[in-house]
Amino acid sequence: MTKKFSLTPYLFLVPALVAIAIFVVYPIFAVIYYSFTDYSIVTPPVWVGLSNYTWLIHDSTFWLALEHSFIYLLVTPILIVLSVILAIVVNRKLPGIQAFRALFFIPVISGSIAVGIAWRLMLDTNGIINAMLLSVGILKEPMQWLAEPRLTLPFCMALTIWLGVGYYMMIFLAGLQNIPEELYDAALLDGCSSWQKHWYVSIPGLRPQITFVAVISSLAALQVFNEIFTLTGGLGGLLQSGYTVVFYLWQEAFRLEHAGKASAIAMVLLIITLAFSIINIRLLESGTEAD
Amino acid sequence: MMQQAQVKNDHARAVLQRTVQNIILYILLTCVGIVTVFPFLWVFFTSFKGPTDAIYSVPPQLIPHDPTFANYIRVWNFLPVGRFFINSIVVTMSVVALNTLFTSLAAYPLAKMKFKGSNAIFYLLLVTYIVPPALTAIPSYILAVRVFHYYDHIQAAIFPYLATVFNIFLLRQAYKGVPDDLIDAGRVDGASELRIWWNIVIPIIRPSLATVAIITFVEQWNNFFWPSLMLPTMTNKTLQVGLVALQGAFVSDSRGTAAGVVMTVVPMIIFFLVLQKQFIRGLTGAVKG
Repeated sequence: MTKKFSLTPYLFLVPALVAIAIFVVYPIFAVIYYSFTDYSIVTPPVWVGLSNYTWLIHDSTFWLALEHSFIYLLVTPILIVLSVILAIVVNRKLPGIQAFRALFFIPVISGSIAVGIAWRLMLDTNGIINAMLLSVGILKEPMQWLAEPRLTLPFCMALTIWLGVGYYMMIFLAGLQNIPEELYDAALLDGCSSWQKHWYVSIPGLRPQITFVAVISSLAALQVFNEIFTLTGGLGGLLQSGYTVVFYLWQEAFRLEHAGKASAIAMVLLIITLAFSIINIRLLESGTEAD
Repeated sequence: MMQQAQVKNDHARAVLQRTVQNIILYILLTCVGIVTVFPFLWVFFTSFKGPTDAIYSVPPQLIPHDPTFANYIRVWNFLPVGRFFINSIVVTMSVVALNTLFTSLAAYPLAKMKFKGSNAIFYLLLVTYIVPPALTAIPSYILAVRVFHYYDHIQAAIFPYLATVFNIFLLRQAYKGVPDDLIDAGRVDGASELRIWWNIVIPIIRPSLATVAIITFVEQWNNFFWPSLMLPTMTNKTLQVGLVALQGAFVSDSRGTAAGVVMTVVPMIIFFLVLQKQFIRGLTGAVKG
């Protein structure tokens, strides 16, 4: 057991650890400190104690943003349901199914900014969506889709779902292909219909993937920014209807240069993501124990 | 005879049922396919519409009657699109190369060596994994302005991504699959650890390196939040950041904006279609482990 001390492992680690120390570890501590200061980036930070946090508690915009971020979590169950169904469908050995799989994956690699801008054009008052709905008679007059506060979040969420469903579908597809064929045969022998077998075999078999997707998609939903930014043209929607925690943070930090207040928002975000991760890891552990 | 007829009948029913099912599935697939393709098709056609082709009309016109490259030329002349491309390529390629190198170095001892503090480093990395990028952006912005002085330089879009925890974990998992005997054999032969790593271990984990490279490539090509903070000058912007600038400048010009969207998305789609298998395996294969 007397292993002589060797520098080698540390030398392998140094480049990555230095980068992570500068760009992740240091920022955590810096943000903690900034959150107790009045800091406009241009002038040095001034210690103000808890006043950024008391400002946050009394700031109705912050609560609105927090509410919106939690509403945004609805994308997670929708994404899971849609992508599981799609995965089951594309798991069938039908002619041309490979082409469909590839097609559904294209939004994943296209990038939320470009796609978001395309959506914004389509949803414009003079856009194709209005033109189509008017021509089939669903609408009588063109709608200002993106100027309707109630619709800002639903449209952003629809964009998130549209962008992500192909990715999660592929994860579930890989999961489905790992479920042994015998389980399906047994289910059929037990009198399951071909739809029932998915309920009794596929869904339980996908449990690890479902948990994984729940974790990553909910963490992404809590931190949504690009969809909000593009669909609202960087303004956060009429009557702040598209303000989420990260959008508000961005607004405070980089539009208004309130680094202190933004840091307090960042701390809240950190605590929420931390809590979420812990809950998710617990779920993950209980899930593997049950198997 | 009766039984045979019964079996035949059952068989025919099963075939019919299957056909009906498949038709339903194809209808479903086609519907989802249309929803997926439509925005791309629409943007594509719009980008080629001439001044006489309506953007908005009831009933809508999808395909241009008077196709033209004028929108692309207008965008190209108005904004330094060539620079956007070069900047995006430089940033993406630098990050892919350096990040893959740094993370594959760092993951190796975490998987294959016993040393003091390895657990501590592992858990530290685990904790940093969940730190929101929006949080780190605040101090990183201040560092960029005050310490590194690379605000508005292309390096600013590269440096923060030199190492990512996700990739370290992914590669650590890959290294764990490499048999210890191979590494020990190298040690017995007196090879240095660096040589063992490069000559013996790296070739074995090549598929995982490809995974890391692809994930990083897609992430960086589509990265927006941080580069948009760092690159205010037009000629320094990456494609995604430039596209937003374009949208702002071409607010009443759907044709031009559409041309910008097509230019940003098409290279990635072509790349994806060529390397489809690697992309899908790369982006979703990271899940295991």
